[in-house]
Amino acid sequence: MDLSIMIPELLSALPLTLAITFTAMIAGFLLALVTTTFRVRRIPVVSQFADFYVSYARSVPVVLQLFVAFYGLPLVVALLDVEDFVSPNVAAMVGLSLYHGGYLSEVLRPAYLAVERGQHDAADSLGYSFLQKLVRVVGPQAVHIALPGYGNAIIYLIHNVALVMYIGAADVMATAHLVMERDYNQYQFETYLVLAVIYSLLCLVAWSIVRFFEKRNARFAPNTARAKATVMPSV
Amino acid sequence: MLELKNIKLSYGSTQVLNGVDLSVKRGDVVSIIGPSGTGKTTLLKCINSLARPSSGTIAFDDVRMDYQKLDRTAIQAIRLRTAMVFQQFNVFKNMTVLQNVMDPLVVVQRKSKEEARRIALEELDRVGLSNKIDSYPSQLSGGQLQRTGIARALAVKPDVMLFDEPTSSLDPELVGEVLKVIRDVTSSGITSLLVTHEMQFARNISNRIVFMDRGVVAADGSPAEIFEASSNPRLTQFLTTEHSIQ
Repeated sequence: MDLSIMIPELLSALPLTLAITFTAMIAGFLLALVTTTFRVRRIPVVSQFADFYVSYARSVPVVLQLFVAFYGLPLVVALLDVEDFVSPNVAAMVGLSLYHGGYLSEVLRPAYLAVERGQHDAADSLGYSFLQKLVRVVGPQAVHIALPGYGNAIIYLIHNVALVMYIGAADVMATAHLVMERDYNQYQFETYLVLAVIYSLLCLVAWSIVRFFEKRNARFAPNTARAKATVMPSV
Repeated sequence: MLELKNIKLSYGSTQVLNGVDLSVKRGDVVSIIGPSGTGKTTLLKCINSLARPSSGTIAFDDVRMDYQKLDRTAIQAIRLRTAMVFQQFNVFKNMTVLQNVMDPLVVVQRKSKEEARRIALEELDRVGLSNKIDSYPSQLSGGQLQRTGIARALAVKPDVMLFDEPTSSLDPELVGEVLKVIRDVTSSGITSLLVTHEMQFARNISNRIVFMDRGVVAADGSPAEIFEASSNPRLTQFLTTEHSIQ
């Protein structure tokens, strides 16, 4: 086994893994923002729909959600009467965005509710609109409360990207399987070990970014316990 | 200037306000006193719609609103002309002292940052916090937090200041610094409503005292009338109890 050949081969699929991760991160975050807004404002029907969506995203196994996206999206596309553009990669992005958005909403909602009532009252009494209050006062405080949970959500997302090979997306995990099979499955342990290092590094980078923001915001939240930095995140 | 009529409000099955009538003239400094749970704070919150009465009307100069109809324009108009100082301070935790005072001016009143900063510094100087402008709320004492809250309220140049038990959450030794600031504010002529348990202070700074009991205004008059010449047995009982505690 030659690591200098195997590692670049695995890394050649990293851009796709990262593309799926970032798309799901961004789309999922936006989706979570909208969903959480609906849920905390208790708008009839829309809120119930949002609750149902979150329940789906949290209770259905992620691999099953990917299958639903992979087989369901072409049906939706057909209904819209546009050309079928649903590749495994697109289905993976959509499926994971939906999963991440629902999961994240359940991180953001309690964080929003954890901001003291008095902060809302003060902003309301001064004439802030809901959006102004959200952006200037409640949002930044909720984000700080949500950060540890958000860090976990990102790490789970990175883990779950490994499942996209089941719907045929050629990410790092799928490529590893190809490499192993090409070598007649002689080096499975070594390949999985390299894969584990790659995923660990991805999680470490994500965790470090979240930690940076946690520390940056700590100045206005002294009551939260300051966790000592450890080399590896406990996930 | 400000007139509340027949305000009724209940929290679940508990009737908190039972038909309150209150009118305030420009320049009045009205202290609202009474036992805990009689709706003093709730009444204050009804004025800027932080609490929503089930019925009643409010007239604030030319703005009139029936609480049974949701009138967002009227609510906003009243909120922009009042400013509240809270029992729990409610200073924005994610902002420094200076940002706390500047932010409503920039975000709500659309003032330029320079002007907002100038006004904020002026008000912070007035409450004696010029040396703390870059501190976060977590770095301040209760008295400093409350003075930040007062500066934030003053900066929006309200027609009416609403003080909701501004010293009830403070250590006894910090009460003095806040009362001094409130005395300065009320003596400047700004119309003020003050919910308080500081009887002597209320007597000294107010030109009118309102005694609330069981969700209604049970007595209303000058400090002398309320503290010395009242014939209301509930008021006498309340004042005797408060006096023995203090």
